[in-house]
Amino acid sequence: MTNNTAPQKVRWRMYLLDRSKKRPATFASLHPHVVSSLAELRNSVTHATGDSLWVSYASDLTEELVKNVLAAKPTLGLGLFIHSLDLDTILPLGSCFRRIAFTTDGGFSSAEELAEILDAENRSDLFIGGSVNRATETITFWRGDLKPMTVPFSGFERSGDGTEPDFDRFSVIDCGQTVQLGEYEAAVDAILYERDPEYRRRIAKTRLQEEQSFGASLRRLRKQRGLRREDFEPDLSAKTITRIEQGKVRRIHQNTLKTLAKRLAVDPQEIDSF
Amino acid sequence: MAFSLQLPKALRKARWKAKIRDRERCEHPHVTIIRGTQAWRINLRTGMFLEDDPNPADVPDELMTYIKDEQTWKRLCDEWNRLYPNNVVSSDVQGEEQDNDE
Repeated sequence: MTNNTAPQKVRWRMYLLDRSKKRPATFASLHPHVVSSLAELRNSVTHATGDSLWVSYASDLTEELVKNVLAAKPTLGLGLFIHSLDLDTILPLGSCFRRIAFTTDGGFSSAEELAEILDAENRSDLFIGGSVNRATETITFWRGDLKPMTVPFSGFERSGDGTEPDFDRFSVIDCGQTVQLGEYEAAVDAILYERDPEYRRRIAKTRLQEEQSFGASLRRLRKQRGLRREDFEPDLSAKTITRIEQGKVRRIHQNTLKTLAKRLAVDPQEIDSF
Repeated sequence: MAFSLQLPKALRKARWKAKIRDRERCEHPHVTIIRGTQAWRINLRTGMFLEDDPNPADVPDELMTYIKDEQTWKRLCDEWNRLYPNNVVSSDVQGEEQDNDE
């Protein structure tokens, strides 16, 4: 959300593997080199560099890409595969690219939103899609820089009004800013803040000095978890929590720190990063 | 269930949205204004923007006037309280006063 502290935008050379007539116009702001035939593909692989971004909507062109890259080319840049992929293709793709993003069930943003996200300065703070894995009870999200982030189902707590996330109705909406699970919606900002220490550090840098104390971090984390000060009882009284949050406790006992961390479901040393 | 404020047609057409989602980064009760890949959070206790980036000036006056209308603002506060009963818009101020009285 805080864009001034997001990583600098890197302009990449985009290759769009696609036979659609209309879709290339959607990606116009990224100036894609459109590849729709095998001859064009071979030529593109020859000229591509490690900074290239390959977005494929065509599975046969993806398969041909693997053959050509493995035969003649060192590792390419980033590969984003919108069509469904089987495991036999994923493994060789992993050795062709520095980083790949894929789903087995087509869970990516629409072409319009995808183009906007990939072109955004804050793209690493946005999600372009993801996969729900029922067996492991996790969702693996792809960020706009194609880095993955896996979140357990338990990371999506029931809403205050009782709404439960529906993992069978997963999508990413609002240009990568919201995860939709049926009637339930989660802010991507909140997921990143919870799961990515680097994102938290960037947010923390923008805070006022007085908001950077341990007490302020404890208070933010407690609110993030939806806990009242009374919820630490009987181990710690609400009065003790208040005193810590207000900076009235100079040295926090190790056992107190462990109790706080256990109730907040984080490592003790992580509390002050919130 | 997430709350999405129904905005006037012109604002909707310009891709503006105002939301309170079931899961937010919630140290301060807030409503999130969304347009494309950008988002602005407005504190429901103070009416102030929580961050100065993206630039609050980029949010049109028409939208700010609409959400700060007394009835709309109350609706936003009620919706936040419904979704975050442990961090309601008004109680934290009272809590701080109690804390300071100790």
